[in-house]
Amino acid sequence: MNGETILPYLIIVPLFGAFSMPIISLAGRKAREAWAVIISGITLLVGSAVFHSVYENGPMLYTLGAKSPFGKANFPVRIVWEVDLLSALMVLMVTLVAFLAVLYSLGYMKHDTGLDKYYTLILILELGMLGIAITGDLFNFYVFLEIMSIASYALVAFRNDTWEGIEAGIKYMFVGSIASSLVLLGIALLYGQYGTLTMGYLAVKIAQNPTVVAKVALAFFIAGLLFKSGASPVHMWLADAHPAAPSSISAMLSGLVIKIGGVYALARILFSIYGSSVNMKTVGWVIIIFACITLIVGNAMAVIQTDMKRLLAYSSVGQIGYILLGIGIGLAAYGSRTGDIALAGAIYHTFNHALMKALLFLIAGAVIHELGTRNLNELSGLAKTMPKTTFAFLIGAAAIVGLPPLNGFASKWLIYESSAMFNPILATIAVIGTAFCTAAYVRVLYTFFGKPSEKVMNARDPDATMLWPMIILALAIIVMGLFPWQISDKVMIPVAKALENQLGYIATLMGGA
Amino acid sequence: MNDFDMGVIVRTAARATIPLIGIFGAYVVMHGHLTPGGGFQGGATIAGAGILFLIAFGLGEMKKRYNKHLYSALEGVGGLVFLGAAMLGIGTAFFYNTLWHNGPFFNGKPGTLLSAGFLPIMNLAVGLKVFTGLVSALTAIALWRRWKS
Repeated sequence: MNGETILPYLIIVPLFGAFSMPIISLAGRKAREAWAVIISGITLLVGSAVFHSVYENGPMLYTLGAKSPFGKANFPVRIVWEVDLLSALMVLMVTLVAFLAVLYSLGYMKHDTGLDKYYTLILILELGMLGIAITGDLFNFYVFLEIMSIASYALVAFRNDTWEGIEAGIKYMFVGSIASSLVLLGIALLYGQYGTLTMGYLAVKIAQNPTVVAKVALAFFIAGLLFKSGASPVHMWLADAHPAAPSSISAMLSGLVIKIGGVYALARILFSIYGSSVNMKTVGWVIIIFACITLIVGNAMAVIQTDMKRLLAYSSVGQIGYILLGIGIGLAAYGSRTGDIALAGAIYHTFNHALMKALLFLIAGAVIHELGTRNLNELSGLAKTMPKTTFAFLIGAAAIVGLPPLNGFASKWLIYESSAMFNPILATIAVIGTAFCTAAYVRVLYTFFGKPSEKVMNARDPDATMLWPMIILALAIIVMGLFPWQISDKVMIPVAKALENQLGYIATLMGGA
Repeated sequence: MNDFDMGVIVRTAARATIPLIGIFGAYVVMHGHLTPGGGFQGGATIAGAGILFLIAFGLGEMKKRYNKHLYSALEGVGGLVFLGAAMLGIGTAFFYNTLWHNGPFFNGKPGTLLSAGFLPIMNLAVGLKVFTGLVSALTAIALWRRWKS
């Protein structure tokens, strides 16, 4: 199969699904739900095919509107999509979790109204994330970032009958808009200085002439994207927005949006555009410092929460800390073995955390669906009445803490190992973060296995459409946990190498001439 | 006169201006590829006529003439036409302007109305989408106010 011909369908299919949703909705509820599942399922197939093609044949370049990115000029003028192994892995992750979230929504959103808008927005959210993952053009990236962000603002405020949703949505919108405008300002500075927006060509221009403007733009990118990824000094929106959204959306926000719109974009800009044109040690340490603050604050705040979804949201902040730590070390120790391991660990953890956090939020949703509360003090003894759900939670919690037979172990181990090799103090901080994380999840498990309260006696495991996505995610966690080093060697290390290979990224673009 | 409209003077003036605003908006949409403006700007102008109707004649009159399903279906059609136009040249690339390069229509001399390939189609689609979307949004805002008049 030729990868380039199927790549545009990654955007076309969800866009078609979203635009036709209002028309399909006229045919009734069943048609709408079937349509959403079909569209996200096809997107999952296309995403897997793209990943397979990139894994087998190397990075691909797609030019919009013409055969080659070069028009009549001798430098790339057209908008390009450039998919290397990292992008392909992100595409696979997004399509998989989005499909499961849509499937879960069938049962979870049963009692809500306005569902045509809900399914339209969820497909647009998926589309925005896929666009960010595959794009090779800086302004195109911004457009997809805004598509993703605006869809998620609306989805956070979807339950507009409670003040929580509205408040969180407004807050998220303000913070997100500030972050987007910082990113846009960075893009404008680079365009003013170098006169191009194509990422690969921008990398060439910056390498030829690294000006102060480029560094200022980098500062704007880091600031804006740390906002978007929910790193610590600016994580306050995340703890409101993620719990207030419907749980299927929380799973996508925590599992995907903060990774794609924050960490992935940051890694792409740092490695593929700037690369060795800036002092990587300094930039790496900037990221590392933010990562350490995020790691401690996020995990420590998770311990004291009584709201289950809020606890999971703070835990997401903490896990973003690990991912940023890996990226920071990968940058500061660029080119060495330590750097490779750290970067592979960061990417591995991104993928693992998407699965784990999606699972945990789906479980939280099932609990809310059954009991109508997410206050941990009222959930005592849930293990008796919702055994399957509790078992899935046990797997998710053990994975996120990093217990050996599950997938979180390998990725966290790579990050610990590299940080110990790089600077033992960082490894200590990472382990302290994990201690907090363990405390938080043990607390939840202790509640679940505690003495049953009256309230939980009427609860039971959710029906099939809600249970199956949880089972699939739990199985994926277990299966990935059985082959940790194989996955690391076969996928994650090559992905890290692909991200580090800035010259390869440029060659993919310029070689199309 | 009911509680929501703005009186006979405003209504008469609105009757006179709404068609003109609509025609001007349609002009901006159709000449999107030739003059400043385009689908979005023209669609917003036409939506201005709808909003003037809403304000001048009141919500009660608007409710009689506004059909939520029709408007959201039309908005979807606008998006689908845009996507379809972008996919015409999928054999070469997504967004390849095959009408402009190969015909059979919209491939006239640059600067004339029937030129620029898929751009006029896309402008019409975006104009439809923006008009229906903005009218729906403003009607929703008018419907959702929580205070009593």
